[in-house]
Amino acid sequence: MADETVDVLIIGSGHSGGMAAKILTEKGISCLMLNAGPVADIHRDAELKPAYSLPYRGFNKPGQLKHVFQSNEFNANTWVDEKEVPYTYDEGKPYNWVRVRLFGGRSLFWSRQSFRLSDFEFKSKSHDGFGEDWPISLADMDPYYSRVEAIFRVSGEANGIAQYPDGNFVPDTSPWSGCMQRLINAAKPMGVPVTKARSSMGVDGLASSVNLLLPDAFKTGKLKAIPNVVVRELGIDKNTGHVNRAYFVDRLTGREMSVKARVIVLAAGTLESTRLLLNSKIANSSGVMGHYLMDQIYGAGINCSVPEARDGKGTPGLMGGGALIPRFRNIDTRAKGFLRGYALNVFSSTGPVGAHNFAAYGAELEHKLASYHGSGFSFGIMGEVLGRYENHVSIDKDVVDAWGIPALKIDTKYTDNEFNMARDAVDTSIAMAEAAGFEVLSKNYDPNPPGYSIHELGTCRMGNDPKTSVLNKWNQSHDAKNLFVIDGSGFTSAGWQNPTMTILALAMRSSEYLAEQMRQGNV
Amino acid sequence: MQRRDFMKAMMAATVTARAAMGEQAAPVKPPAPAMPAPGPVPWTRGLSAVQPLPISPLAADSIAGVETQFFSDRQLASLRHLCELMMPAGNATPGAIEAGVPEFLDFLLGVSPKDRQESYTRGLDRLESEARQKFGISFADTKAAQADQLIRPWLRSWMSDHPPSDPHEYFINIANSDIRTATHNSQQWAEAEVARGLHAPDMDVYWYPIDPLLHSEEGHALKRRSN
Repeated sequence: MADETVDVLIIGSGHSGGMAAKILTEKGISCLMLNAGPVADIHRDAELKPAYSLPYRGFNKPGQLKHVFQSNEFNANTWVDEKEVPYTYDEGKPYNWVRVRLFGGRSLFWSRQSFRLSDFEFKSKSHDGFGEDWPISLADMDPYYSRVEAIFRVSGEANGIAQYPDGNFVPDTSPWSGCMQRLINAAKPMGVPVTKARSSMGVDGLASSVNLLLPDAFKTGKLKAIPNVVVRELGIDKNTGHVNRAYFVDRLTGREMSVKARVIVLAAGTLESTRLLLNSKIANSSGVMGHYLMDQIYGAGINCSVPEARDGKGTPGLMGGGALIPRFRNIDTRAKGFLRGYALNVFSSTGPVGAHNFAAYGAELEHKLASYHGSGFSFGIMGEVLGRYENHVSIDKDVVDAWGIPALKIDTKYTDNEFNMARDAVDTSIAMAEAAGFEVLSKNYDPNPPGYSIHELGTCRMGNDPKTSVLNKWNQSHDAKNLFVIDGSGFTSAGWQNPTMTILALAMRSSEYLAEQMRQGNV
Repeated sequence: MQRRDFMKAMMAATVTARAAMGEQAAPVKPPAPAMPAPGPVPWTRGLSAVQPLPISPLAADSIAGVETQFFSDRQLASLRHLCELMMPAGNATPGAIEAGVPEFLDFLLGVSPKDRQESYTRGLDRLESEARQKFGISFADTKAAQADQLIRPWLRSWMSDHPPSDPHEYFINIANSDIRTATHNSQQWAEAEVARGLHAPDMDVYWYPIDPLLHSEEGHALKRRSN
């Protein structure tokens, strides 16, 4: 019977697992990658179809994926089936856990927004007294961000704003459309900066582990990968305290297997990594594992219309394009009612305006839709959620998944800090829109349920003190030196930023550290 | 094909497959040949040469009659009237009635979670009751101006994922949205768009199940751990 010991076992194939595989194999280290789901092939697994040919006319199958607002009948089979992998929460505390287990994970589906954290996030406690500082700073991360931005081909513009650090950009020299220039002019007197969006262009529009990271790793000949295997538990050598084995189950057949490893790199996604560690009952001498669950508030915002673009008068010079309003609250002054801050995603549209923006029906609604076509302008919040001890996950002993693995119970809710932040974002958006001469069509102050942003972070936070953190500044377990957790679970604070660039930079940094430690024989 | 040619083709295929996998796969022992099916001819003979049939997507309910099963007759009559009002036919496009929306929503709501079902049934019942109270007739028999008095006060503008929370406001606005979507996503609407020289607007990439579980009867139940 084969019972090889692999040098590094990587669990997960998304952005963080892909980066670990690339860095480690390029340094000559052999890796085995396990992934809980199958390999998707758009040529084999997908087909262009009209909505009318689907069983539910393009409506979701009722009751399926009720927590995945992003799903529809076309893409329903790409998300994790909530009956196959259930999770629980108490009534009144809903959580939208949005998961992809395909090879490549959620790196296949993300918005491409590419931001660095600033020292307003890395050193947030020093700035406002809440929470904990990260054990690293922007200066520590800068060279890794630069290399990640080069791989992912991040387009952007240098703005020289401290809370919105510049990076290694493919220069965005596109001109502003007329409506965006009007927003810039309206926001300036309010002290609100309006900047170009920053976005990963990748290759052929795809900026994923499967096209930017894993091909390099496979090219070395040092990476092997097994899809469709679900890791049940990690084993530990009681003499050394090191992790030494991963027990997994074949997703399709239920066959139980295990693999020995010198080092284990956990990159299964924030909550799956923490679930695996909690089920394994390891690496938690601090007792904080599972705590400080964070994400970002989405869903609050406004939809508007640019009057001059109605009735077919919206020229390409007037309409189109997007912008990013980076955090501007709690930088030099103190906002009333909340700590930290939010950014606003701003888009103008040359297409249809959604029917729900009008309190009308029938012929009247059709007339409005025709008139407003091509005049849409929207603002949406991305707001920081504070890291609170009481927002946590644990193992639900009463519920198991399709392979008998105990499920995760998620216990989290937003507080007045988040609700007040959302209210400020909407009111400020309305003020800017009206100052720009736009008509506000609809508004919403209520954030979507926690989890909606698909930016779950924390639960294995990093820190210098093993008594108050799970990982050290290298994403290495304080308890088991050959265990690294390199996804979003290591975040100490969430920031308002899409976390992908930071996850990638951390994965690159910790993987290079691991390779060096292995070379020196320390791990 | 001569045996020698067959072996050469197999070798080439193996090399190509291994190259594509980055030489990661260990040599695979060929499986034992399956037992031939009983009968004079192997049952899969010739299948590999068959070209796909030119079957265009066709929604059965664009041709077939359907039996409604969920709503009561009275509720269905109210829903039909709501469909006529909220999504009437245009000059070149079908309305909700022509697109079979009342019958489709009867099916969709019939397999929906209970809270969604109750939203519709209570909402339709309320329209009926208010029409009788206010005009002395069934909602299905109201004139457009009369129905408007029962609908318009509840209309709201709202943002995606955040429909109004008041139960009747929710029903009126969600019904308005559902009736439009079901009309736009009908085969009748798509054909009308094509007839106008437009591409059908509702095309998208549909993902089939990818490696579904082999034991779905075991795998798809929310499992409670046995003590």
